[in-house]
Amino acid sequence: MKKNAKVRSVRLFILFLIVAAITLLPLALLFVASLRPGSELMRNGLNFDIDWVHANFDEYKLLFSGKNAYFSWYKNSLMITIVQTALSLFLSAWVAYGFAMYEFKGKNLFFIFVLMVMMVPTEVILLPLYKLIIGMHLINSMWGIILPYVVVPMMVFFFRQYLSGLPKELIDAGRVDGCSEYGIFFKIILPLMKPSFAAMGIYEGMSSWNNFLWPMIVINKMDKITLPVGLQSLLSPYGNNYDILIAGSCFAIIPILILFVCFQKYFIAGMTAGSVKG
Amino acid sequence: MQKKRVRKSFIYSKKVAPYVFILPFLITFAVFYVYCIISMVGMSFQNVPAHAWVGLKNYKIVKNAVFIKSLRNSIFYTIVSCALMIPIPLVLAALLNSQEMRAKTTFRSILFIPALTSVVVAGVVFRLMFGELPGSFMNKFINIFGAGPLVWLRTPGTVWLALFFICMWRWTGVNMMYYLAGIQQIPSDLYESAEVDGASRWQQFFYVTLPLLKPTAIYVLTISIFGGMAMFSESYMLFNGNKSPNNVGTTLVGFLYRMGLEQNQLGIGSAVGVIFLLIVIGINLVQLTMNGTIGKKKED
Amino acid sequence: MKKLMSGILVSAMAVSTVLGGMTAFADDGSTQGTNTFVDGGTDIQFWTFQELHVPFWTSMADEWNKQNPDRPINMTVTTGESHALQEKLLTACAAGEGTPDMADIEIGYYGSFLNGQYLIPIDDAVEPYKDDIVYSRVAMYGDGEHVYGADFHLGATVTYYNMDIMNEAGIDPATINTWDDFHEAGKTVLEKTGKPMATVEVSDLFLPQAMLLEKGVQYVDADGNPNIATQEHADVINFIREMLADGTIQITPGGGFHTEEWYGFMNGGGCASITIPLWYMGRFTDYMTDLKGKMAIYPMPVWNDGDVHEVLQGGTGTSVIKGTENEQLCKDFLAFAKLSKEGCTYEWKELGFDPIRTELWDDPAITEDPDNKFLQFFTTNPFDILKANGTDLTAPDISGSYSATYSVLVSTTYANAFENSVDEDAMELLQNEQDTIVY
Repeated sequence: MKKNAKVRSVRLFILFLIVAAITLLPLALLFVASLRPGSELMRNGLNFDIDWVHANFDEYKLLFSGKNAYFSWYKNSLMITIVQTALSLFLSAWVAYGFAMYEFKGKNLFFIFVLMVMMVPTEVILLPLYKLIIGMHLINSMWGIILPYVVVPMMVFFFRQYLSGLPKELIDAGRVDGCSEYGIFFKIILPLMKPSFAAMGIYEGMSSWNNFLWPMIVINKMDKITLPVGLQSLLSPYGNNYDILIAGSCFAIIPILILFVCFQKYFIAGMTAGSVKG
Repeated sequence: MQKKRVRKSFIYSKKVAPYVFILPFLITFAVFYVYCIISMVGMSFQNVPAHAWVGLKNYKIVKNAVFIKSLRNSIFYTIVSCALMIPIPLVLAALLNSQEMRAKTTFRSILFIPALTSVVVAGVVFRLMFGELPGSFMNKFINIFGAGPLVWLRTPGTVWLALFFICMWRWTGVNMMYYLAGIQQIPSDLYESAEVDGASRWQQFFYVTLPLLKPTAIYVLTISIFGGMAMFSESYMLFNGNKSPNNVGTTLVGFLYRMGLEQNQLGIGSAVGVIFLLIVIGINLVQLTMNGTIGKKKED
Repeated sequence: MKKLMSGILVSAMAVSTVLGGMTAFADDGSTQGTNTFVDGGTDIQFWTFQELHVPFWTSMADEWNKQNPDRPINMTVTTGESHALQEKLLTACAAGEGTPDMADIEIGYYGSFLNGQYLIPIDDAVEPYKDDIVYSRVAMYGDGEHVYGADFHLGATVTYYNMDIMNEAGIDPATINTWDDFHEAGKTVLEKTGKPMATVEVSDLFLPQAMLLEKGVQYVDADGNPNIATQEHADVINFIREMLADGTIQITPGGGFHTEEWYGFMNGGGCASITIPLWYMGRFTDYMTDLKGKMAIYPMPVWNDGDVHEVLQGGTGTSVIKGTENEQLCKDFLAFAKLSKEGCTYEWKELGFDPIRTELWDDPAITEDPDNKFLQFFTTNPFDILKANGTDLTAPDISGSYSATYSVLVSTTYANAFENSVDEDAMELLQNEQDTIVY
């Protein structure tokens, strides 16, 4: 029996070793490629053949040389991610609190609206939303990207679940202490929500940082585009931008990877939040 | 002063406060969803930008061969990605959770890493891996078995292979995590009593794990369906634009994008959007009726 | 909570300061170009999809400022990826917001801008130059009534031969007169060298369009409706299919003539010829440098002996975008940059673009310039072909549904015709394709 278990353990380990290798393979390819000149890569194909003697960080030097717009895209993306995450965390928690802690007329109907929004992919209303953003003069503005998604139904749903788990006595205690309805939210509830904020913040930050389609549509000035849109724009038949593309792709992953290693627990909690108690 | 205090106490009253709390949602819901859907339905009967009513003319697009193809592509992609992305991560999760497994957290983290990468980066890598040059990774790989080189991204069959590869690469880890969360909520005494009853590992998996993971599986199914029907960016990156050869990778959203944004036919694009909305509502209705319990659960 | 919030704020600020520092020196990156700043000059925003065009526009702005000190301009040129940038321009035009004053618009997309009426007519600015240029190259960027844009080059289509391969096969390209000759020569090349005579694109349209234009047939009819299901077009497709079937031509690696796969293939001596306009010379000097001294330029084959039908292909119409506050200045500058002797000389010398101004064709300082990198690269002189062709040239009709038609042609029609459904009847295939064009 014991031997059996050991064999099983080794088999499992090998299986997962293979799965992990396949998972890391594309990223390894990308990294190896970033040590070669981009044009050579395009002519010979992406593979592990690399002349290690000539491997170098020239592509990264070029990336950091300032002779390209990479870091202004980086800055745009970072700015949007920070503002969007902060705003949507706050507003979604605010809305969720209303749903979780009060009884009021129309509550069920309004919550069905939340679920409805969750159940319709945003791509469905892409065109009218785009027209609306034009009408609101938010084209080429960070707010055009952020405003439509400032209250995230998924987060409202998650926060409401989370808040339902808190004892209602807390609120009554707050009222007794003379806090206003909003004071209770700020002084008592928000501090208690910290753990869920971390998870949801990562969820929202990730989706904002990696968002592609909507920012591509809203922003049409090359100096205001976000990092994913900018990277895509380097895949051009005119001009040799492959060096920046490959090194830039690598460099787009690295910060998130570092964050992930440090805050793994929250990442996983955030990304899988939707299914918990679902 | 008096008035101000009255207003203040009004807003601060326990009756009004909940509405103040949900107000941000109501505003965005009304402006960005309700208004947009109404205006989309309106535009679908108009010739935009002239805004002349043209009746059902825009809906003639349903007979367009490219529209039909993109709809078929989306449905095909959704079905196959569900068929892949529900069972495989489930099995992986169950295996990873087994007692004999070593270095669980390390493997869990590694499998999760692709989810951190942007679809753009994933697209760039896979586009190059599936390049048609003899030296491209996939061609080198199949060359080991004496096959190829293939023109991966211009041949319908292999295009799908590349698309499903991206999909699996990015989402296997996340879906596995959903299942792991579900598995860990299963009380361990259930397994213990199953073992006492002499159930084998497989029997335990089929009679204990699977039934109890049904809610998780349904959640994964739901997000897979919507993710699949809304697929666009993967195809856009793989073909460097919304222009897959012979529309092998054009999806419903890709077609909507082409009509509305590339060719400036907002009327026709809106008609496609309305059709898309109807499909989504249809899927939701089917789901809700099939899982009436789930619908109720969310209410309480 | 306060702690958390201030924590977020502090880290956000720290990160943005770090990045701010990094971007401080990225501000004058190569995605933007400016001319020498002139005090009191009018700011002009310009978009182009082609990096090579940036120095052209900034130098022309300097030249303009020298000649027009009373109307100086300060130009900012922005570039980005071709496809993305044209889409952005189109959405910006549709939104009526965020548009530049002027822009380069690739020919395949031009029709959409014409249809949307996003451009300003430039007739009056072109008028002074009219007699010195091949006017059909300007008129094509119009609706018959007004013209809206001017090209960088004439875009005369020619055939480039790799003389190493041709010599090995023992064929003198000068003897290739008709497409039938071309096909026969291809058989010899294939037999003697094992290499294809040419390749055909599936994600672009240069070869079939050139062949079709030689027959005097356009992709759109006189009213601008899609018109790809013509007998002539079917004949062209059948002709190319025949050559594909016997291996004298292949599908272009990478699918088109602007891909790295193709550059590598051609540069390595993978194929004997390419039929494409003269502006493609720059791709040779930039991306296929191993072919220096090996390439010869000859007139493109014709259908029947004695045909002199010459065609123009590809190109970029530069236009003034509606909404600019400096309409007249932009128009005048545009005409000056594109149609003046200074502009055309720059375009030839730096970019290898065949001049739209006919006087340059006879100027020995241009045509015999020993320092010119394009004349050095090729063993024959491209101006001989221009002079032989004259000025009666067939330009593609890009009006009406051309953009929508183009997008179907390069995404599905030729992929189906040459790669996916090679057995489907050409006429039937074209009719099916035509039915999918939304116009």
